[in-house]
Amino acid sequence: MEVRRKKSERLNQGVWPYLLVTVAIGLLTLALLKVGLSFQLANIALLFLLPVLFSATRWGVGPSIYAAAVGVVAFDYFFVPPIFSFSVSDLRYLISFAVFLVVAILTATLAFRLRQQVYESQQREADTASLYQLSKRMTALDDLDDMATAIVSHVADTFHAPVWIVLPKGDAYGCVKKDFMEPLHDVGVERCALAESDLCVDACLYVLQNGKSAGLGTENFSREAARYFLLKTEEVVRGVLVIGATSDLHEGIGVRQHLVEAFVGLATVSVARIQLEREARIARLSAESERLRTALLDSISHELRTPLAGIIGSVTGMIEHAEVLSPEDQRDLLFTIRDSAMRMNRLVTNLLGMVRLESGMLTLRRRLCDVADMLGVVLRQLQDPLLRRKVQIQMPAELPPFYVDDVLIEQVLVNILSNAVKYSFDGSQIDIQVREQDGVAVIIVEDEGIGIPEGEEEKIFDKFYRAESAKRIPGTGLGLAICKGIVEAHGGQIFARRKVPTGIRMVIQLPIAESQEESGDGRKNLSD
Amino acid sequence: MGAKILVIDDELQIRKLLKVTLQAHGFTVIEAGTGADGLVSVAMERPDLAVLDLGLPDLDGAEVLRQIREWSQLPVIVLTVRDKESETVTILDSGADDYMTKPFAMGELVARIRVALRHAAHALTEPVLQIGDVQMDLARRVVEKQGQLVRLTPIEYDLLKTLVLHAGRVLTHHQLVKEVWGEQNSEATAHYLRVYIGHLRKKLEDDPTRPTLILTEPGIGYRFKDFQ
Repeated sequence: MEVRRKKSERLNQGVWPYLLVTVAIGLLTLALLKVGLSFQLANIALLFLLPVLFSATRWGVGPSIYAAAVGVVAFDYFFVPPIFSFSVSDLRYLISFAVFLVVAILTATLAFRLRQQVYESQQREADTASLYQLSKRMTALDDLDDMATAIVSHVADTFHAPVWIVLPKGDAYGCVKKDFMEPLHDVGVERCALAESDLCVDACLYVLQNGKSAGLGTENFSREAARYFLLKTEEVVRGVLVIGATSDLHEGIGVRQHLVEAFVGLATVSVARIQLEREARIARLSAESERLRTALLDSISHELRTPLAGIIGSVTGMIEHAEVLSPEDQRDLLFTIRDSAMRMNRLVTNLLGMVRLESGMLTLRRRLCDVADMLGVVLRQLQDPLLRRKVQIQMPAELPPFYVDDVLIEQVLVNILSNAVKYSFDGSQIDIQVREQDGVAVIIVEDEGIGIPEGEEEKIFDKFYRAESAKRIPGTGLGLAICKGIVEAHGGQIFARRKVPTGIRMVIQLPIAESQEESGDGRKNLSD
Repeated sequence: MGAKILVIDDELQIRKLLKVTLQAHGFTVIEAGTGADGLVSVAMERPDLAVLDLGLPDLDGAEVLRQIREWSQLPVIVLTVRDKESETVTILDSGADDYMTKPFAMGELVARIRVALRHAAHALTEPVLQIGDVQMDLARRVVEKQGQLVRLTPIEYDLLKTLVLHAGRVLTHHQLVKEVWGEQNSEATAHYLRVYIGHLRKKLEDDPTRPTLILTEPGIGYRFKDFQ
């Protein structure tokens, strides 16, 4: 459609109308010479008005005046006596010529205005549709990058010009560019930092800092081949929209000024919406982290002070009152000191683990691991607390090796088993099941302890969350959060289920793939 | 007179603690607060063993060990912290004899010091070793448990022998693979090591899920129970 319009535009310009007018008048003259000699001269003159009217409506003033002139000449030469000569015997025909000219100019002007109005209203309709389309797309997007892409693509397609948008990205500015190339083949969108883009960085910075548009057609940076529009809402500069120069540019920015302004407005509002949303999200997050910080302080100050109170109290007691303490009392106090110190050690370990997880400093050192071996290490580490529980292990004799970070998974198991001990009673049973299903290891730990209130199965994995029923048992609410972090870093999941009549069932699912191929190599060299 | 032990640690409290406890166990203790002082003490005082903290302010622990190893086979036990397993493995592979993760129980450190001193003296020469109810005859390459012959493949036997000869001492995966297979370390061989350890446990341990002879040091390697 575009191409056809172009072609017809070309027909309307240059010498074509003049040639067509000449041909048409020639044909009309020939036809009148053959059949029209019986006509009155006045009728013939009227017929010569037809090409004038036609060219006036169709091609405007120039061709219609030309048609009037050629028509008068042909009329005079072929039809006004003396025929085949230019001697104007009757000056009345000069009046016809004047009438021709007036008709030509008046009609052409009217027709031109009409065409102009039609063209403008079509253009406005197209512009409105285009704006509507873009605004519809904008409302559906909530990512700044996607939005930048949509804006530059749309504006580039509308103006047939390269378009850039410059938006703040971190501390610097990022640039998204869409080139426009004829004929109509789509070029992708390029992204880069502002400094690496092909834009004039100074012009961009000028616009951002002075809050004024710049570039082509303005007072500043007018030598630039593009116009730099400011995107700004209520004193906050949001970015810069740059529309490049093409052959259409002067028409583009000049005639369609309102459309450019509408695009700039729409881009501003859209970008502002996303940026404000982001700010609101950050504000929400910081409120959340504020809440966490308070919880952390409360929890840590309590969890650190309690064992410290135990240690300091015991030690000062032993130093100051050594003579009144029996050897048994002293031994009791020493055990208090040891237990308190170990509790602090656990807390510090968990805190550091949490920090590592949260700061992204946790790197998995995956290896092929023997799960029986890992379980052995964990049970050994917990042998003292587990003395007063019945531990049952169900594990198939042949399990494939797990491709995991053994140290971290052992920490997960230690945390879960410690909880199982902490929240259950002496003499109760703890069941451990390990199995493998389709490349996923399933580790289940069940206890007969106090369990969790209904509906809190998810929450117990939140940082610093402690179930109401568990509050009288000391703890930070970090252990399970760390477990979850570690298991998820392995691409697995961990969840808790209430057990009937009492207790909790912890399920860990870990993908253990990548093991088969690796263990395949080297089998020959190493087996005996 | 007990063995002379050099403690290289920048924390005064830790040095004091080690000095008091080790002296109570009959050792002579000398102290160094920096890596540089430690190196001087190694040369001047000729200690029998060094306890080296890896978090020294002046010199990297690995560097101190490297300088000691340039001219001395002095047994070195390094003090490390949790979450630094790979660093610990590196320092064990480059010549440290054993490690302790802070915080530690004193009894364990004393046991490791004794093992390291004994290995330094090459005390293990008896051909028949009794480890609980397991008997190992190094001359005849025969292993018995409760008087019953335990059938071991050559690799299993070599692995067990390596572990037993270093009883009480940690051996990294790399060290074991090198001793038994004489090969470069790789993920595949490390996995095979785990498989053979599993076989040995099934044949020798009373409860293979709760081993008491061949203990796993998470992220580091294995340690055979000190039976002497």
